[in-house]
Amino acid sequence: MSTTTPGQPWATTGTAAPGVHITAASFSYHHADRERPAFKGVNLDIAAGEKVLLAGASGAGKSTLLHAIAGVLQDDDAGSFGDLRLDGVPPEQARGRAGLMQQDPESQVVLSRIGDDVAFACENLAVPRAEIPDRCRQALQAVGLGHLPLDHSTAALSGGQKQRLALAGILAMQPGLLLLDEPTANLDPEGTDHVRDSVVTAAQATGATLIVVEHRLGTWLNQVDTLIVLEPGGGIRHRLPASALHHDEALRAELVDAGLWVPDHDVVEALPTWLSPGQLPDDSADQALLTGTELAVSRQSSARSWRKTPPPQPVLSGLDITLDSGVATGITGRNGAGKSTLLLTLGGLLAPHGGVITASARLKGEQGARLPSSPHHWRSADLTSRIGTVFQEPEHQFVRHTVTQELRLSAEQAKVPGTKESLFTDQEVTERVAALLDRLRLTHLAEANPFTLSGGEKRRLSVGTALAAGPEVLMLDEPTFGQDAHTFGELIGLLREHLDSGGTVVAVTHDRDFLRALDADVFALTAAEAEEPPNADTSTAGATATPLLSAVRDTSWLGRRGPLAKLIALSFITIALISTIDPVSAAVVAVACFALLPVANIRLGTFLRRIWIFAAAAVMAVWGAAVAAEESGRVLLDLGLTTISTGSLEMGLSLGARAFAIVLPSVLIFSTTDPTDLADALAQQLKLPARFVLGALAAMRLLGLMAAHWTTLGHARRARGLGTRFLSQAFGLLVQAIRIATRLAVTMESRGFGAGERTWSRSACFTRADGVVVLGGLAIAASATATAIFAGTWNLVWM
Amino acid sequence: MKSSATAPIRQRWTVSDIVVASTLAVASGVIFWGWNLSYHAVSTLFIAYPPSASLVAGMWLFPAVLGALIIRKPGAAIYCEMVAAAVSALLGSQWGLGVLLSGFVQGVGAELILLAFLYRRFTVDVAVLAGAAAGLAGGINENWIASYYQYDAVGTMTHIIGFAISGAVIAGFLPWLATRGLAATGALAPLRSRKAHRESAFGTRVREAPAAPSSA
Repeated sequence: MSTTTPGQPWATTGTAAPGVHITAASFSYHHADRERPAFKGVNLDIAAGEKVLLAGASGAGKSTLLHAIAGVLQDDDAGSFGDLRLDGVPPEQARGRAGLMQQDPESQVVLSRIGDDVAFACENLAVPRAEIPDRCRQALQAVGLGHLPLDHSTAALSGGQKQRLALAGILAMQPGLLLLDEPTANLDPEGTDHVRDSVVTAAQATGATLIVVEHRLGTWLNQVDTLIVLEPGGGIRHRLPASALHHDEALRAELVDAGLWVPDHDVVEALPTWLSPGQLPDDSADQALLTGTELAVSRQSSARSWRKTPPPQPVLSGLDITLDSGVATGITGRNGAGKSTLLLTLGGLLAPHGGVITASARLKGEQGARLPSSPHHWRSADLTSRIGTVFQEPEHQFVRHTVTQELRLSAEQAKVPGTKESLFTDQEVTERVAALLDRLRLTHLAEANPFTLSGGEKRRLSVGTALAAGPEVLMLDEPTFGQDAHTFGELIGLLREHLDSGGTVVAVTHDRDFLRALDADVFALTAAEAEEPPNADTSTAGATATPLLSAVRDTSWLGRRGPLAKLIALSFITIALISTIDPVSAAVVAVACFALLPVANIRLGTFLRRIWIFAAAAVMAVWGAAVAAEESGRVLLDLGLTTISTGSLEMGLSLGARAFAIVLPSVLIFSTTDPTDLADALAQQLKLPARFVLGALAAMRLLGLMAAHWTTLGHARRARGLGTRFLSQAFGLLVQAIRIATRLAVTMESRGFGAGERTWSRSACFTRADGVVVLGGLAIAASATATAIFAGTWNLVWM
Repeated sequence: MKSSATAPIRQRWTVSDIVVASTLAVASGVIFWGWNLSYHAVSTLFIAYPPSASLVAGMWLFPAVLGALIIRKPGAAIYCEMVAAAVSALLGSQWGLGVLLSGFVQGVGAELILLAFLYRRFTVDVAVLAGAAAGLAGGINENWIASYYQYDAVGTMTHIIGFAISGAVIAGFLPWLATRGLAATGALAPLRSRKAHRESAFGTRVREAPAAPSSA
C-alpha cells in the first residue's frame, strides 16, 4: 500500500527512549456543563512499547481520554476523578514524555519555518542548544521531510506533509509515548498511507508506546498489537488482541453497529437497497442541467486588477463537463489539483477563469427563463434555489442561532427571479422545514445552536440547509471527511433521494465507497490538466494578500540587521517627530528615509506604492487642522461656523508633514523585518515574557489561514442566498479563529510550551553592525531636532 | 481541579488564554489594517467638521474590550490592544510606530475599568464603560500626548467626547454581544467566558443550562 517508506535514521542514533507504561484506575472525566461524563471508571494498563488502537462510537470520549493522557486537559470547572499515571507520575508532571497529534493539519503547525517548528518542543523542554539541530535533522529525516531546507515555509506544505511535520516535532522531543487523534481523517489516501507508515516506523525504531484513535480501523489494525473499545459514557468495553477483529463476528457486528469502519465490511452493501439508481421517469432522465465548455478555473479573478500584474495562471484549463439530472458525478484527483476550485466555479461562486458555463432551461426553470446562462451572474437568491453548495467545514455555512432558523432561512431566501417575492409561502416554508428536520433526524435538536452539534449532525444540517431552498444541483466538498459509518449511510440516503427526484449531485471526494454508493460518474483530474505544483495548497490562496507574509527573508543590508537595533533606531526617530510639530524636522526625516532606500534594497517605485495611501492621511490632517484649529493671523476663508486662517493653515501643514514623515521610517524598517526574528529579539534580548511573544508569533502564522477562511465564509453566504454580510462574516471568522486557536493551544501545550525555562535554538545577539543601525537612528533623530531648533521651528508639544 | 465561589480566582494565563487572545489580537490587527486603508474614504464624511470623525474611532478600540470579555484575566485588554496595534504597524499604518503608544494608552483605559470591578464583572454596563474609557484615553493621547491633532478648545472636546461615545458603542456594546454569541457556539469552552451567553445582562448570575440535548 505504501508509496515511499521513509528511512530509518533512528536506528543509528542510539538515543531511542524506552516506551511509557500507562496505568489508569477508576479514572473519570466530566466536562463542565455536560450532562454525562465523557468517560467513567476507566481501568487501563498499557505496557511500555505496546501499540494500541482506541476505538468507540462517536462521542464515546476517545479524544478526551487521549487529551487526558497527554496532560492537556486543564479545565478549572471540569470534574476529574481517579488515577492516571505515565510511568508512575501524573501526566501533567511528565512533560515531554507524551507527544500528541490531532486531526486538523493546520493547527498542528506552530511556526512558519519548518526548522523552527520542529525545534519548538526541544526549546520548550530546555534541551541544550547544541543538541537541538541534530535532533531536528533526524526527526525530519524520519518522517521523509529531510530533503527540505530548514527555512522552508510551513504554509507551502500539503496537509499530509503538515501532519508528518507535526510528527517530526513530536519525535524531536524523543517521547516515550505517541498519541494520535484521528491523524489522517482529513487526508487523501496517499497522504494517509504516508503518515501511517511514518508513525509506525518511528514507533518501532524508538520503542515508544503508541495509542491511535481512529474510526477507520482498517488503516491501523494490522500495525497495532491491541484493540481497545470505549463504552460511551463509561469505561473500557473491550480490550483484545487486534487480530481478533478479523474473525470475531460478534465483535465485528458490535463495532459496525457503533458506526465504525470495520475492515472487510462493505458499508455500501449494508445500505438499504437503492431501488432506482439512474432510473428516472422518461421525461426527466438524462437532461443536462449544467454544462461547462473549455472551462479554466482559478481562485484569483482573471479580471485585470489595479496592480499591473500579469493575469494569474488558471489551476485547471480545457475542461468539458456535463451534469445530467439523476446522475451523480465525483470529482477526484490529488490534493491541490484544483478540485475545490472547480466545484466553486461550477457552483456559481467563482467566476470562470476561461470558457463557458451554461445552465440549461430546465435548471433555470419557467420563472427564471430570463436569467443569464452563467450561474456566476445570478443573484444569490436565484442561485440558492437552483444550485446548493455544501462546504467541507459545515460551520462555514451556519448563520443562525438554532437549527430550525437555519433551515427556515434557506427556504425564505429563495426568491422568484427578478423580484423580491419569496418562492415559498410561509406555510410552505414551515412544512419544508418540518419535513427536512425529520429527514435529517434533527427534530429533537430543532432549537439547539448549530455550532454545538456533533460532527455527524453538523454534516447533516449543512446538507439540509442546501436542500431547504430546493436546488436541483447539489455540490459537495469532501462530504465524508472524518465522518463515521453511520453519518456516511445517512448522507448516502439523503443524496439518493435527491437523485431520485431528478436532481444531480457533484462531489469532490477521495472516498471510493461514496462514489460506489451513488453509482457516480468519475471525473478524474489528472496531472496533465493541473498547471500548478500540487504543493500550492488551496488553503494558502489568500496568504499573499497581506504584505507582511511576503516579506520573509530579506537579504538587504538592513534586512540582515537585528530587529531590536532597528526597533530602537525607529523609536528614536519616532520620538523626535512626536515631540514637536514642525515641518523642518519632518523634512529631515523624510529626506533621510528616501536616501536610505538602497540600504533596504527597496526600489523607489515600490516604496512610493507602499506609502501613497498614507499621504492621503497627511492631506486629511492638513484639512482637519486648517478648519478646526485655533484661529490666528489673517482669516483666509470664512466658512461661517469656522474659519481657515493663516495660523490654522500653517498648523495643518506642519501636522500633515509630520504625519507623512512618521510613516516612512516604519515602512522602511518593517518591510525588512521578519516577524520570527522580531519575536526572537523581543523575547531573548528585550526579555519580554516568552509565552506571550511566542503566542503572538504563532497567531501571526494564522494570518494567511484566516484570509482563506474569510473568503470561504463569503462564498458560503452567497451559496445560502445571502448577499454580502460583513458582521455575519466577521462573526463566522471569530468562531473559526477561536476554534483553531484552541486546537493550536493544545498542540503547543503538548509540546511542552508554557511552563518552566526554555532554550533558544537560534540566539539573537547584538552585533557591531547593529550598533551602526542604532547610531544611525539616533543621528537622524538628532539632526532632525537640531535642524528644527536652528531654523527656529522646533516646539515641544508637551509644553 | 474544582473551583467554588470562595476559592481565590486563578489569574495566571493558561496556554489557551494566551493563544486565543493572540489570535483575536492578530485578527483584529488585520481588521485595523483594512480599516486604516478605508478610513481615508470614511473620514471624508466628516470633512465639514473634522473633529467629529472620532465618532468612528471606536473601530480601533474593540480588541481591548473583546479580549477582556473573552479572557477575563488581568492584562487581556492591554495585551490584545497592543498586539493588534503592533500587527497593524507591521502591515503598514499611517501612524508608524506611534500606534504602539496609542495601543498601550487605549488598552490601559479599558483595563482600568475592569480592574475597578476586580475582574469579576463582565456585564454590559462594564463593557460599555470600558469601551468609553478606552475612547477617553485614546482622545487624551491623540490630542495631548502624541498630539496628532491641534484643534481649538471646542474641537478638542468634540473629538474626545466623540471618541468616548464611539468606544462605548463600537468597542463596548458590540464586543459584549459578540462574546455572548461566541459563547453560545461553544467555541469558548476552554475559557473562563464559556457561560457568557447565559449570564444576565446586568448581573453576574448564571442561568442554568436548559436541559441540553446530549449531542457531543
